[in-house]
Amino acid sequence: MQTGSAGTWLAMVSAAKCQRFCFPAMLFFLDNLLLSVRHFGHPQARVGGLLLLPFFFLTFVSLNVDASVSSPSQSQNEAPRVAAIDWTLVETLMSLGIVPVAAAQIKDYQAWVVEPSLPEQVVDIGLRAQPNRELAASLNLDLILISPLYSAIEPTLSQIASVQTLTTYNPDNDFWQNLVETTRRVGELTNHSAEAEAVIEHHRTRIDQMKEKIATDTPPLLVVQFIDDRHVRAYGEGSLYDMVINRLGLQNAWKGETNMWGYTTVGIEELITQGYLVIVDPVPMSAEEIFNNNRLWQALPAVRHDRVLSLPAVWSFGALPSAVRFADELYQALTDQHATELGLNNL
Amino acid sequence: MISLHRQASPAYICLPLVIICVVITFNLLKQTLPDLSQGAFDFSVGLSGPEAKAMSTAVFQFSVLPRMTIALLVGAALGLAGVLMQQVLRNPIASPTTLGVASGAQLGLLLATLFAPGLLAFGSEWVALAGGAISLLIVLSLSWHRGLAPVAVVLAGLVVNLYIGALSTVLILFHQEEFRGLMIWAAGSLAQNSWSDTLHLLPRLIVAAVIAGLMARPLGLLELDESSASSLGISVRKLRLLALGLSVFITASAVSLVGIVGFVGLAAPVIVKLMGARTLAQRLLWAPVFGGLLLLTTDLFLLQYSAQLPSMVPTGAMTGLLGAPLLLWLIPRLSLKSTAQSTSKTTLQTARKPTSRMFLWLLALLTIASIVALFVTQSIGGWVFNGTGQWESIVTWRLPRVLAAAGAGVLLALAGTTIQRMTGNPMASPEVLGISSGTAIGLIVTIYFSTNVTAPLLILAGAMSAVITLAVLILLNRRTGFQSERLLLTGIAIAALFEPLRSIFLANGDPRIQQVIAWMSGSTYYVDFSTGLSALLLAALMVTLTPLVARWLDVLPLGRNVALGLGLSVDRVRLILLALVAILTAFATLIVGPLSFTGLLAPHVARMLGFSKALPHLVGSAIVGALLMISADWLGRQVLFPQEIPAGLVAALLGGAYFMWGLRRY
Repeated sequence: MQTGSAGTWLAMVSAAKCQRFCFPAMLFFLDNLLLSVRHFGHPQARVGGLLLLPFFFLTFVSLNVDASVSSPSQSQNEAPRVAAIDWTLVETLMSLGIVPVAAAQIKDYQAWVVEPSLPEQVVDIGLRAQPNRELAASLNLDLILISPLYSAIEPTLSQIASVQTLTTYNPDNDFWQNLVETTRRVGELTNHSAEAEAVIEHHRTRIDQMKEKIATDTPPLLVVQFIDDRHVRAYGEGSLYDMVINRLGLQNAWKGETNMWGYTTVGIEELITQGYLVIVDPVPMSAEEIFNNNRLWQALPAVRHDRVLSLPAVWSFGALPSAVRFADELYQALTDQHATELGLNNL
Repeated sequence: MISLHRQASPAYICLPLVIICVVITFNLLKQTLPDLSQGAFDFSVGLSGPEAKAMSTAVFQFSVLPRMTIALLVGAALGLAGVLMQQVLRNPIASPTTLGVASGAQLGLLLATLFAPGLLAFGSEWVALAGGAISLLIVLSLSWHRGLAPVAVVLAGLVVNLYIGALSTVLILFHQEEFRGLMIWAAGSLAQNSWSDTLHLLPRLIVAAVIAGLMARPLGLLELDESSASSLGISVRKLRLLALGLSVFITASAVSLVGIVGFVGLAAPVIVKLMGARTLAQRLLWAPVFGGLLLLTTDLFLLQYSAQLPSMVPTGAMTGLLGAPLLLWLIPRLSLKSTAQSTSKTTLQTARKPTSRMFLWLLALLTIASIVALFVTQSIGGWVFNGTGQWESIVTWRLPRVLAAAGAGVLLALAGTTIQRMTGNPMASPEVLGISSGTAIGLIVTIYFSTNVTAPLLILAGAMSAVITLAVLILLNRRTGFQSERLLLTGIAIAALFEPLRSIFLANGDPRIQQVIAWMSGSTYYVDFSTGLSALLLAALMVTLTPLVARWLDVLPLGRNVALGLGLSVDRVRLILLALVAILTAFATLIVGPLSFTGLLAPHVARMLGFSKALPHLVGSAIVGALLMISADWLGRQVLFPQEIPAGLVAALLGGAYFMWGLRRY
């Protein structure tokens, strides 16, 4: 789908012709076949069905069309043609200025990761757990990036292009360091090491700048996402949000057990904190009622003291860009909150 | 039903439950109430003074109390629904979950959330009611021709449950992120934060209880046979319809609030009956009481220990897990009307004469399907028909899948034909025996506990769990001589274990969900050429071996006595056949997952085409099975291109629909 040569253009035209011609032929054939099955006893129908068989095969063999439309043209800074299955890696690629040739579940990516948004030319290769290999193979990929979550498909994908498994969630290491390593590794693999270092540095300084400006006596934060009107996900140690909070020199108020991805599912009665309650979008429709007239909600200390912060959607399993975006939004919300609190105190 | 001797009363079992509940509640309150800076809510920033008091009062008032109340109410509702269903259908194992009412209600809500959210604003309860009623209707019409015999009804319920499971799996596979909330609800979480659910359910339950009370006397007469009941001046049909409608309504109300709560509806009526509630009136009183207490106890236990669990275990799924062993324990103690004899006649009747020409037609169809599956596909540019130039992509990507699909289809079809002829039950299938579910349980557990999932590991785990399931089946049925009804019921109980496990996994929103679902729904995606080839070779080998068992399968449907008279050592033969079915199923499940209805369907289609004797029946259904799976695999790759629907699911959706439509004729 880059600049098409004359050859590929021809192939596309003949593919279109093939569809126009072959489809009716196939339908006609199937129709007759059904008829002949139904009127099984009729010799005419049988003869008709049998006569059609060779015709059908002929159509097949004569119209042999080259499926691969795209050519392996070099573009973008000599970056290899890369596809990413995992959204975190898609995000990382985009942050380095590399537009992947293909990604999985693009529609859902746009809805849940949101930023950085993917340009239209990126090919959707289907589900993350089962990307369409035949499609991927036709894209002349040089490199496929996956996370350990999808390691089961590594062997089969490696028949298409070289596959690299990159870990972001590794409980043994510092999360920030993990993300930095992943970004660096992606940079190495795509000949974008310089860009990777620049991106890492940029994000590091962004966060450091914010850290300097945030008051050291800011109360702890309890970050949640609403699942429905009765359950929330509370993000504790091992989550992206927790990492950002610590990096900003703040405290995470959630000290309970969490799973491998650093969150746990609880009811709203457990959201007890003296500090801020941070709600990350999206809030499902059914849960919005809670904010208006739920007595339990109104009894929560954070709600009583007007210390509820609402943040726009940030991918909770994201990479450096998501982390910094979360920090940005959080910083903004805290500053606004601080201003109102000051204003109230001055009254 | 068995009964315990002496003057037993359900009170003897309710009282201990009450005591347990009180103790745990006291314990929980001690942790929660006095001071929030201690115990369960110990955060580094403790609250103090009046604020802590206000908070703990609010938690108690709007979370703990409503939760306990809703547990009692939901348990009572399900208990009541269970009693009514068991009474009307004269079926000791009827319940909202076994008859597919609960899962029907759930599917209704899933579909509404996704495609018509406006309906939910109108009232989620009505959506649930419609879903539950439709699936009950399907279950009843599937078992109608067998006089609503208990095992037939429950088997139909299982088939419908499995089918609904397949449908919702497709939805979840493609809407993983949107369904976060729904998954928790679906697993039956009782968490509350206001009294609104209680206020919603309580009046409905009271009305239902009053109506049930009024119906108690006439319904009690149903225990006599129908003719004498109608001679007493009761419109039996209206009465049954009303009672069933009432039980569906209560179930739907409960399900729409807290999701599926497994097995309370089955356990409560059965246990109070065992404990001495003989008359219907007694059961109508005690089953709701016991059901409520049972659910409350389970919930309190989970509350008590939830802090120690890193993942959430919803209460409804937990009762489901407890219910399966109960069912296993119960089965040997049930006296069920045997239906095996009556069926053998109907199942062996065939409309058309079998023809060797039919074989040729089937083989021709199979060839065409294989060719289409190999050469026709979609690409970014649209439909492509490619032949000789594309050998590489065909051999690498499509051939293994076609081989594997064909192999799995044949294996499942052989297993299905064997089990259907062996039990004389047209609803029997490898899925129903629980071997597929057992394999799937093993896979889920493996994926959950290992961080690095590889294909060989999964194959090993799947094979091991299939063997374990088979051992359980054999152990539990050895003494009864592998009698078909009990065998099927054991399978149902094992299959019942699978659902709650799946729910728990889904409810935690684990990012590995998609991987698990993709595996469970059975895709030929992971198959490489050698696996595909070996699947097909194994299938071919099995087909060539069929003449060895054909005579047994010709004789067995004639009934035990005839078979014994013909010199067949029935028990031994059944054991061998069972082991055979298990091996076939385990291999097929590893390739196409636990949910394809191929094993159920292929034998039916073959019989409808006129293959009635064992050998042609086996071979015919093997071809049909291969045809079905190849087509399903191809359709799954094309329908939502570039996304791929696993072949097992496509087969389940197509096959299940056809099956339910086609079974009316039996």
